[in-house]
Amino acid sequence: MKSIFLIDDDPIFVYLTRRIIASIDCPCQINEFTDGELAISHLASIGNQAEKLPDVIFLDLSMPVMDGWEFLKEYSDLKPKLKKDIALFIVSSSISPQEVERSKGYRAVTDFLIKPVEKRKIIEIMDNVKL
Amino acid sequence: MIPFLHKLISGKYRTLKGKDSLATAEEPDHKLLMEQLDRQKAFYENILNKLPTDIAVFDPDHRYLFVNPGAISNEEYRKFIIGKDDYEYAAYRNRPASVADKRRAKFLEAKNSGKEIRWEDTLPDPKGNMITHLRRMYPVYDEHGQLSMVIGFGIDITERKKMEETQAELVKQLSAQNRQLTDFCSIVSHNLRAPLVNMSMLTDFIESTDDPVEQKLLISKLRPVIDNLHATFNELVESIQIRQDLEIKCEDVCLDDCLQRTIDGLQTEINKLGAKIETDFTQVDVINYPPQYLNSIVHNLVSNSLKYHHPGRSPLISIKTRKEGEKVILSVQDNGLGIDLVKHKENFFKIGKVFHRHPNAKGFGLYMTKTQVEAMGGRIWVESVPDEGSVFYIEFDHRIKQAS
Repeated sequence: MKSIFLIDDDPIFVYLTRRIIASIDCPCQINEFTDGELAISHLASIGNQAEKLPDVIFLDLSMPVMDGWEFLKEYSDLKPKLKKDIALFIVSSSISPQEVERSKGYRAVTDFLIKPVEKRKIIEIMDNVKL
Repeated sequence: MIPFLHKLISGKYRTLKGKDSLATAEEPDHKLLMEQLDRQKAFYENILNKLPTDIAVFDPDHRYLFVNPGAISNEEYRKFIIGKDDYEYAAYRNRPASVADKRRAKFLEAKNSGKEIRWEDTLPDPKGNMITHLRRMYPVYDEHGQLSMVIGFGIDITERKKMEETQAELVKQLSAQNRQLTDFCSIVSHNLRAPLVNMSMLTDFIESTDDPVEQKLLISKLRPVIDNLHATFNELVESIQIRQDLEIKCEDVCLDDCLQRTIDGLQTEINKLGAKIETDFTQVDVINYPPQYLNSIVHNLVSNSLKYHHPGRSPLISIKTRKEGEKVILSVQDNGLGIDLVKHKENFFKIGKVFHRHPNAKGFGLYMTKTQVEAMGGRIWVESVPDEGSVFYIEFDHRIKQAS
């Protein structure tokens, strides 16, 4: 089974994303985190257990406590220690070109997706995950 | 005749006429030559006197050799100063010696460095208007490399200075506005677009299902999204209005009344948490300020202290005023959750920044408070220790009640 970490504080968006993923023919385990700090500390604690690490991370930018950018900074430091190659997608409602540009400064970021994310994009992402 | 021209004629200084003409000074047509020299002297002095700038020439000991009327318009003073230094002149004009100290320092700077120096000098004129001069001073050497004199001159750059200041102020305002615009765009992008995306996605789902139970569930999820959009929109409008209230009126606002209003508004919360609020307004009890701003500032800070209370203890909020010269400092201290300032220093008052996991935190409150404080020329800052509490300070500029 494929595993997804969904880091987003917006319950409606998380609900909708879960529905989209449920509607595609791809059994997935989804873990939710409502801010970057909860996600990064969890990732740090399971860093050497490849079977517990996700295949894909969907990361929101605007979140309380630790926002997406702060998460990325810490995640970049953590990534070399993680025993799995994880695809990370920023999923933001922002349409600011500066933010897209800024995300390119992080090698850990696979792509920048602007909400709403279409179902076929999610299918494509999940198809690319090799188990 | 001014001393340095005497010296020129006596042959000590040869720069003006050269060796040959001075050699002829011993000849019988001495009188004719003196006349010529007088005419020449008058010619050059006239030029120096008519130049619309102030000129002063000093000997190597900082004694005046020459000043033009641009520097000292009164003839009597002008005559007095020749051969004297600034200390004698200051005593003569009953001026403080500190003026002479400053001039001596500049003189020594030019003399010791051997180079031209430049500086700006702002002093009140006889009518009390502040006049700014750009001053230059440079040493002049004779053919043996000995310092023969120091020439100083200044031009009035008051107008230019005023223009520069106006421009600098404009640039400051513009860049502040530009920064606010960027903040505003990013907040519109995040906080307004997010609920819109949710609404459009929910609608897509509603349209794509025929199951009425499913539709009903999805519709029920629309309501909080719309409420959220509404609240965000209202707060954005409010923050824009602060910026547009350029001519907002100040009134004497009594702090006790202002706080009472906040307490009335938050009574349910206060009772629920068993919060205690203490005040000390003995130093300043009235602030001249736009009442709606002050109400909003106090309300925001107190409601933040309640919102981010520590789960292990009842909130204790202490509100004080302190006088510092013409400024008033209002402080709001709590024993709440506190904030890690090492981590969040940069973003503290930034729009959309949230530091705690609280359902109603949107990151507008402190941004609004900062905007309201800064719109009136004040400052806001915070001291905080995580798990111990926070103190917010607001400095109000010249807001002490006018003595009636």
